[in-house]
Amino acid sequence: MMGLPLFPVFIVDFFGSALMIILSVTASFHARRLVRLNPKNVLWTYLFWLCMALVAFALSRSIGHMLRFIFILLDFPHVWETLSPYSGGLNTLVFSSVAVLTFYYYNVQGVIQRVRDDANSLARANRQLEKVHAELRNLNTTLEQRVENRTRELKVSEQKFRHLYEGSKDMIFFCDAGGRINGINSSGIEMLGYDREEELIGCPLPSLFVDEEKWAKYYCRLGSQGHVRDFEVELLRRDGSHLYMMITATAIVDEANNMQGSEGIAKDLTHFKMMTDQLIQSENLASVGQLAAGVAHEINTPLGIILGYTQLLEEDFTDRPEVLETLRIVEKQTRICKRIVADLLKFSRHSLEGDKKSVDINQCIEEVLAIVEHSLNMDFIYVQRSLEEGLPDIYADPERLKQVMVNFINNAHHAIDKEGIIGIWTHFDAHCRELEIIIGDTGPGIPPEVISRIFDPFFTTKGVGKGTGLGLSVSFGIIKDHGGHVEVFSPPRDPDIVAAGMRTAFHITLPLQPEMSTPKDQ
Amino acid sequence: MLTCKAAPQLSNISTVQHNSHSGIFLSRVFCLRSFFLLLCWLTVFPQDARAVQVHGSPEGLYVHQMAHLFFAAALVFLLLLIHYRPIGKGKAWGYFKLSLFFFLLWNIDTFGVHWLTLRLPEGAIISRGSLMEHQLAGPLTLERLAYYFGRLDHLFCVPGMWFLVLSLRHFSVQSEKQENSAENAS
Repeated sequence: MMGLPLFPVFIVDFFGSALMIILSVTASFHARRLVRLNPKNVLWTYLFWLCMALVAFALSRSIGHMLRFIFILLDFPHVWETLSPYSGGLNTLVFSSVAVLTFYYYNVQGVIQRVRDDANSLARANRQLEKVHAELRNLNTTLEQRVENRTRELKVSEQKFRHLYEGSKDMIFFCDAGGRINGINSSGIEMLGYDREEELIGCPLPSLFVDEEKWAKYYCRLGSQGHVRDFEVELLRRDGSHLYMMITATAIVDEANNMQGSEGIAKDLTHFKMMTDQLIQSENLASVGQLAAGVAHEINTPLGIILGYTQLLEEDFTDRPEVLETLRIVEKQTRICKRIVADLLKFSRHSLEGDKKSVDINQCIEEVLAIVEHSLNMDFIYVQRSLEEGLPDIYADPERLKQVMVNFINNAHHAIDKEGIIGIWTHFDAHCRELEIIIGDTGPGIPPEVISRIFDPFFTTKGVGKGTGLGLSVSFGIIKDHGGHVEVFSPPRDPDIVAAGMRTAFHITLPLQPEMSTPKDQ
Repeated sequence: MLTCKAAPQLSNISTVQHNSHSGIFLSRVFCLRSFFLLLCWLTVFPQDARAVQVHGSPEGLYVHQMAHLFFAAALVFLLLLIHYRPIGKGKAWGYFKLSLFFFLLWNIDTFGVHWLTLRLPEGAIISRGSLMEHQLAGPLTLERLAYYFGRLDHLFCVPGMWFLVLSLRHFSVQSEKQENSAENAS
């Protein structure tokens, strides 16, 4: 029976153990280096402890094996027998430790992977949060500036609107769905003769319309078309007078297209309409003037012949009183005809530059009053003078101006009939470079249906034979010849004149010539 | 006597305290009372202690063998884990897998040697004289030959450790490079 020598086994065992010690120490060195480089890396930590366990295993086992040979060689085999179980036990512990470490590593790796996933999610959320935070910070930084800019823009816009609203010379108004005024600018308040906006707030717009049919048409058009453009209407002022207005309005509607109110601008055309009427009247007067001039020229010659022959006949019939009386009647009536014809010629005649000169209007008025005041006082009519001192002279025909004054004063006299006051005011408007003469009376006033016709030729309210209806027409023509204009107000528009008890006021405006522009006291 | 006194007190307390609080308190008192009664019973009627058990001599070997199996299972687990869910690539990981493989072979080898050692009859190992004279007695059956060559287990564990060293060396070199590049980048 042949056996196998164990010496090769011992050799491999001994040198293998020595190599295991060297290699395990080297491995632990590298593992430690790895852990130091990256202490948070779980894999390196695992490898480090794996190496430590293997080092412990290698040392205990290899040292044990080597000691075994040494003790046997030194003839102390029982010592090895004592140490051997400890070496085996240590190896058992090391195996178990390595196995536990391996499974533990797997679990830790799983946990770490989950933590890493969570960390990635958190990092993504954090990045999004940072982005949102940056946007918020940017918004917060610029918010104040943006609010400031927006506020400034709104303020500018509001100022524009406010300036337009308050500064407009036209009436701007707002109404609710029921047509009640809920906002009106100061020009509108003034136009309608009120003092404060509160007096008009809540006031129904239809109540301001003179013609109810006009309101119905206005409201119907606003509702159907959504707007009203250049709608001409007469509005009632607080004092009962009328305003001729042109309204442009827009309906305010909600999302369901239901009318919630309206906003509009009303332009006062009263003055424009009056000027238009006067222009028409002037055209009428011009036509009539041309006609009258032709007629007067043709009639004037036969009248002169009739008058001449009548006077010759009077000389022939001085001895026959009844014929002479008849001829004098013919002469008188012929002279009346000539006067009418002369008036017609004056009415139609253009002024001659040669008759104009520097005229003190106050003096002119005083000269006229000196003539007519006595007859006025006979009827208990007194003249109230309010003549502004230091008026500049105007360049005009004094005789014709006196004729105008006489006509207006006579007109006032006839209006008052008996017992009353005639007021005369003069005023210089430096801004417009105009002189204004106001002649008012305390008579019954002019009915509205008549007031537009009083300057028409041959229009008179006096009885037959008492007036020719040419006085105001002639006066109107003379003032026009001087570049001025005449307006009549009944009742007067000026509160001071109303306070003086006047019921009618004629405003005569005469422009200054350039060389007469400076008042005397300057 | 103590329990007799405690009972009326407990009943009084239970009427004024919340149910859960009184329940915890009661259970603690009952545990203490049971422990006290058991202590008294063991003192009066003593018997043999049963907590400490004496183990026979094979137990150490069995534990050692089980540890080998446990270690082998861990290595197989780690190898499969790295194979199916690779943590990284490169030479270092290749060396690491080789290392694990050799340690697995070593485990199998040593487990087998321990098992064969138990099966060897007395006198199979002749350890008379010097180490040079020690030998495995015949007849050289397959089992004895397996034992003989199985004793050369360092042929597995030394390469395993060698590959582990190579793996760690590569890991540390790579890690140093990454550390340096990170420093340069910062």
